[in-house]
Amino acid sequence: MILVIQINQQKEKRQLGMLVISLAVIIILGTSLFSGCVQQQGQQGESIVLIGRDSTSGTREFFWTFVMGKANFSASLLEKNSNGAVQQTVSQTPGAIGYVGLGYVDSTVKALKINNITANVQNVLAGTYPISRDLYMFTKGNATGATKEFILYIQSTEGQAIVTQEGYVPLQNTSHYNTSGKTLSGTLTVSGSTTVLPITDKAATAFKVLYPDLTVTVTGGGSGAGISAVSQGTADIGMSSRDLQSSEQGKGLVKHVIAKDGIAIIVNPQNTYVTGLTLAQLKSIYLGEITNWKDLSK
Amino acid sequence: MVRIMMGKIHLPWKGSKIKEKGMKTLFFLSAISAIIVIFSIIFFLFRDAYPIFQKKGIVDFLIGMRWYPTGQPPLYGAFPLIVDTLLVTLGAMLIAIPLSIGSAIFISEIATPRIKAIIKPAIELLAGIPSVVFGFFGLIVLTTWLQITFDVPTGESWLAGSILLGVMAIPTITSVAEDAISAVPREYKEGSLAIGATRWQTISKIVVPSAMSGITAAIILGIGRAIGETMAVMMVCGNPTYGLIPNPITNVFAPIKTLTATLGIEMGEVATGSDHYSALFGLALILLIITLIVNILATIILGRLKERQRSGSKKQPIISFELGRKIKLSFYLFIGIIIVIILLMAVGIFPTVGILALIAVIYYAMKKISIKIKQKIAFSMISLTIIIVIIFLGIILAYIVTNGVGALSWEFIATGPSNLGRSGGIFPAIIGTLYLVAGAIAISLPLGVGAAIFLHEYTREGIVTKIIRAGADLLNGTPSIVFGLFGFAFFVLYLKFGFSLLAGQITLAFMILPTIIRTTEEALKSVPQSLREGSYALGATKWQTIRKVVLPPAAPGILTGAILGIGRAAGETAPILFTAVVFSDFIPSSVLQPVNALPYHLFTLATSIPGSKQNQAGTALVLLLLVIGIYLIAILLRNRFRKKMKW
Repeated sequence: MILVIQINQQKEKRQLGMLVISLAVIIILGTSLFSGCVQQQGQQGESIVLIGRDSTSGTREFFWTFVMGKANFSASLLEKNSNGAVQQTVSQTPGAIGYVGLGYVDSTVKALKINNITANVQNVLAGTYPISRDLYMFTKGNATGATKEFILYIQSTEGQAIVTQEGYVPLQNTSHYNTSGKTLSGTLTVSGSTTVLPITDKAATAFKVLYPDLTVTVTGGGSGAGISAVSQGTADIGMSSRDLQSSEQGKGLVKHVIAKDGIAIIVNPQNTYVTGLTLAQLKSIYLGEITNWKDLSK
Repeated sequence: MVRIMMGKIHLPWKGSKIKEKGMKTLFFLSAISAIIVIFSIIFFLFRDAYPIFQKKGIVDFLIGMRWYPTGQPPLYGAFPLIVDTLLVTLGAMLIAIPLSIGSAIFISEIATPRIKAIIKPAIELLAGIPSVVFGFFGLIVLTTWLQITFDVPTGESWLAGSILLGVMAIPTITSVAEDAISAVPREYKEGSLAIGATRWQTISKIVVPSAMSGITAAIILGIGRAIGETMAVMMVCGNPTYGLIPNPITNVFAPIKTLTATLGIEMGEVATGSDHYSALFGLALILLIITLIVNILATIILGRLKERQRSGSKKQPIISFELGRKIKLSFYLFIGIIIVIILLMAVGIFPTVGILALIAVIYYAMKKISIKIKQKIAFSMISLTIIIVIIFLGIILAYIVTNGVGALSWEFIATGPSNLGRSGGIFPAIIGTLYLVAGAIAISLPLGVGAAIFLHEYTREGIVTKIIRAGADLLNGTPSIVFGLFGFAFFVLYLKFGFSLLAGQITLAFMILPTIIRTTEEALKSVPQSLREGSYALGATKWQTIRKVVLPPAAPGILTGAILGIGRAAGETAPILFTAVVFSDFIPSSVLQPVNALPYHLFTLATSIPGSKQNQAGTALVLLLLVIGIYLIAILLRNRFRKKMKW
């Protein structure tokens, strides 16, 4: 009897030992995390956090071709699936740098000067801001009916007013849009580049006022998604912030330029290390050669 | 009861034989639907993944170190993605296992009935929070908090993903573990207490070891849930561009990219039929195989447990005592070594030695402590786990309610979005969700109920029921994003439905089918056999008996299952991401048109539309209220049903 109880007590002790161990695990994890954070104290926002777009983005492809010279991005690049997500992450992360369309620059992020030229509409129009490109809409064959009217509307003075209002660069020498005598109905599906999305969304709202019987559906997804949707026939118009790639040619897609855009390089407003970069510095940052903001402010 | 028995029962007439046969065939067909679905999922994944395996070789695909499908040359190395998936799951389990098992012990052994009546539904509510709402909370609150608290460059990390997944796995593990603990025979406990053991001794020596296989199954199910989770990890893990194994491997603040997140980000944008497209299906196939293995393990363990209970625990335990002890020992040793390594890397050698010495001191001090104090310590730690779980729930709910309530207004509910959802309302998304859910339940309810009737009423337990049940179990364990990919490959592309309401409805229906089969079977089981025998004795046929005698009392149970299915369908994002949804103010007028839905609307606002904070929280709140409301109805209905059912 006594023996049994003793064995039980021993087991009991072992059990408790387990408990203590688990308690200790908690304490250890806590302290190691804490000490880890003590070690890193004072580095707030010093390490560069690279933010970029996912692999089907037109903005990424343009950036990759134009800025990176088709060299591979650093492996620490964090992918976001839209311009808005890049902007939002940069605004929340002190050490972050990202690239977005001009239309996405607002007070929550700081746009850097590139080669000492401020990123704005005037400088893109003047041709001095170095990172800019055309924005496109693609249709399968020549545009007809509602598709044609919608593209004409965006290219008109009224449409280009929306382009300006959204912070992009308008086309020059446009004429007024004329609705006289036309009626349109049915549905029009537009999908693709998130860079072009804000323009199309506003334009679609205005367009629906002109043609109340028409339903216009606008979705994002990225340039690649838009182009493949229009070539498969699941969308009427594919929005894109890049031209066709070799694998996308020969599918009967017709290109319509609808605006121009500069790509802004944005950092967190708390970033006091830099106000501008050269294209070479930008490339080194995205290659992962420069990983600390301090190295740039020297 | 009397009313049911008095109900009209027609005697068999001439045509009834054909009718009987017809009904049986119908039920059989719905029963095999689960198997057909799981096989077509595997078939379509394999069909679309095959080209990449053929081109790059399965081995290169599995062990390649870089995922860069758009590079020159494109790289298809799934290894970092697989490792990251396993790491985030491991982290989630380190958080979820102690918390859920503590909670399960608390609910079944320690809590007074009144506390239990509050805590149990609270944990079930945690299960009702949609994954995209967790992701939203993680993206806005958790990652920012991690980034500031630990002063790391970015909070989007392994740790963030693990915390969210851990919290999400808690309800799954807790409820299965609690069932296992509650199923331990009373005599065991009584015997232990009678020979003078304390309550804690009884729990730790008798109850938990007896329930061990059930608890193991619970953990495995939790792992399955965590591996397959998409939206939350996609939103908080950072997603480094080529897939990145943390360096050093213990760096919990490293951003990671899981299999599910890669699918979620890249699938919607890839050119169909390309190598990249095929490679994504390859990833989905890997994911499906991992989760299938995990779920088969759980099913086997749970099956043996049931067998053992039926045959009265005379058989050998699954793991012998000796082996069990060895496994336990090596497990603790393993954990210990990992912790020491972490410590060495984090704080250096001297603090490590200090901490180890401290542990040793505490360990020996604890050995001197009396049994009663030990019990107190143990019980307070268990209570602590449940408090932590409730605090998690509280923080998430409080954040969403306080931020979302400002956006709520009649306009928000009843008008469409404007300015890309920054202003205006969410009416089209609400309608879209209702359409999707209504279609899904209309498809899956007849199928699921038919399958359950066939399983329970028409066949004896045997090879056929085993196969059908296995099919339903596998379907239950299939990650929601895999349903999404299947829906995309089969309905959208192969059947040419396009992005449409119909494709989304059927995909969701398949996802909730196993839930409905299981709950209906439970409901049928609760109808006593004597009722059926009485009906047959009066000359009623099988189908008449089922329709007039079995189904009416089982209806509330079936309804509960349907409501649980509705709740799940309303909150899921991944299955409809590539089959049905568009971000717009568009209300479809036919099933072949695309649709907006609440979870997708929230996902898009949270990840793509800056300056929509107010409407994000508002959408999250509406979605949460909708799903939790649905779950609450199911819980209330179940409790009422349980109380009323006395035969």
